Amino acid sequence: MDSTVIIFILIYLLTILISTTELLPMSLAALAGALLTAWFGIQYGLFTYEDTLSFIDIRLLMLIIGTMIVVEIAERSGLFRVAALYAIKFSGGNPGRLFVFLCVASAFVSMFLSDPTAMLLMAAATATITKLLNYDPVPYFLSATIMINLGGTSTLIGSVSNMIIGMEANMGFTEFLVYLAPCEIALWAITILTLYLLFKPRLGKKKTLPEYSPAESIKDKKLFYKSMFILLLLIFLFLALENLNIGPEGIALGCAILGLTIANLDPAEIFKELDWETVFFITGFMFIVKGLERTQLLNDISTQLFQAAGGNMLNASLMTLMFSGLASTVVSNIAVALTFVPIINAHVTPGVNAAPLWSALVLGTNLGGAATPFSGAVCIMAAGALKREGILVNFKDFAKAGIVTTIIQLGFSSLYLLVRFWLIGG
Amino acid sequence: MNIKKIKEWLRSRKMKSEEKYEETKKEFEMAMGKPFIVIKIELPNGFDDLRAHFLSLEKDEQFLDEVRDLIKKRLVHERRGVKQPS
Repeated sequence: MDSTVIIFILIYLLTILISTTELLPMSLAALAGALLTAWFGIQYGLFTYEDTLSFIDIRLLMLIIGTMIVVEIAERSGLFRVAALYAIKFSGGNPGRLFVFLCVASAFVSMFLSDPTAMLLMAAATATITKLLNYDPVPYFLSATIMINLGGTSTLIGSVSNMIIGMEANMGFTEFLVYLAPCEIALWAITILTLYLLFKPRLGKKKTLPEYSPAESIKDKKLFYKSMFILLLLIFLFLALENLNIGPEGIALGCAILGLTIANLDPAEIFKELDWETVFFITGFMFIVKGLERTQLLNDISTQLFQAAGGNMLNASLMTLMFSGLASTVVSNIAVALTFVPIINAHVTPGVNAAPLWSALVLGTNLGGAATPFSGAVCIMAAGALKREGILVNFKDFAKAGIVTTIIQLGFSSLYLLVRFWLIGG
Repeated sequence: MNIKKIKEWLRSRKMKSEEKYEETKKEFEMAMGKPFIVIKIELPNGFDDLRAHFLSLEKDEQFLDEVRDLIKKRLVHERRGVKQPS
């Protein structure tokens, strides 16, 4: 291995280490890594300055920013809060039903919101309702965390890692649904059942729910309906315009502009609230991976992995699922997705149906994020919210639920890939 | 690189997220629990000599009962359709 490759590996590993341990803000770690990549790459003649301009996928950034704007408008209108309030109301104070509804609401809101934002919302809802009914909040909090991590696996905009994979694999909104929705629906049911069985004795007894009307909590009805319209329009256009040569980034940005125009909100306020930390982390990390790609290292890893899989697509898909799933338990799933994309791309040749590999990567990167309290931002936030409520959740409690559900989810996903792509075909 | 400044920035970011959590929780409490209002009242002009007394009203139970009674009266009038003095 020559010194150039070693330098690029070091930059990659240091960036992951620093951003995972939050020694520096993750965006700064990735941008500093990108700067070093550019410097060494140009010095060693691996690429030119002009080459680096193509390292950042503007289409991906447009999709992420456009979706963030639409979702921020919807969040401001209270759309997701009202959904959570309805879920709690429909439970009628029955702890089993409340548990299931909170799990479903958590997964549902995370289909649109980023995981930390969804966690903030669901943690607040869970803290309020468990305090009102005097229930042990731990099972409800932990289950919401695991469901938020799971939610949105089957949609292009369900998570940032999905957007990265979707754009690279040229998988549209419909393809995502076709390949992954049956698996996600089954995973929701299996995970809720597992969590219910794990926590059943701690859910509490039936109590009377306070009378309230979720609709009354809407502060601005006009904004509420407008944001609902924009969100539905976004999904409709994703489904309808796929064949009109308009990429998902165009639809997302178009809806964002329309949303900002009709919502009558100060755009500067909306822009301020966007998750720029993630946007800059992706930008920097994408650059680092592109640099690594130029060393041919990822190509070699890809060749060796597919050789280890015996050239068999099923084995390769299962290996992708397991490796990306396990890696996501310790490293940000965005970093895992960005790293695996070129590895898979190197193997994809015309005529090869790569859908099983991409589906495996989507499942792996989404499912590994809630295995332990340190697996991702959403787990850290859940533990933090519980601490603020005066409850210390121990590692054993968290890991028990997280590891059991992660193993079951990865196991089921393997089975799904086998049935979906090899027994059914397509 | 100033690590202290970065740590401060990280802390302020954590505090911002804690504030947002409390804000969101308040919205849920308002919707599901008993609704409440928070009113900001400034010391009226010409009462600077009673500043300490004014500030103590915030925790004066008798005063708070009087405010609650005033609100009750206002709501009773509202229910009966009596026009409130503006």
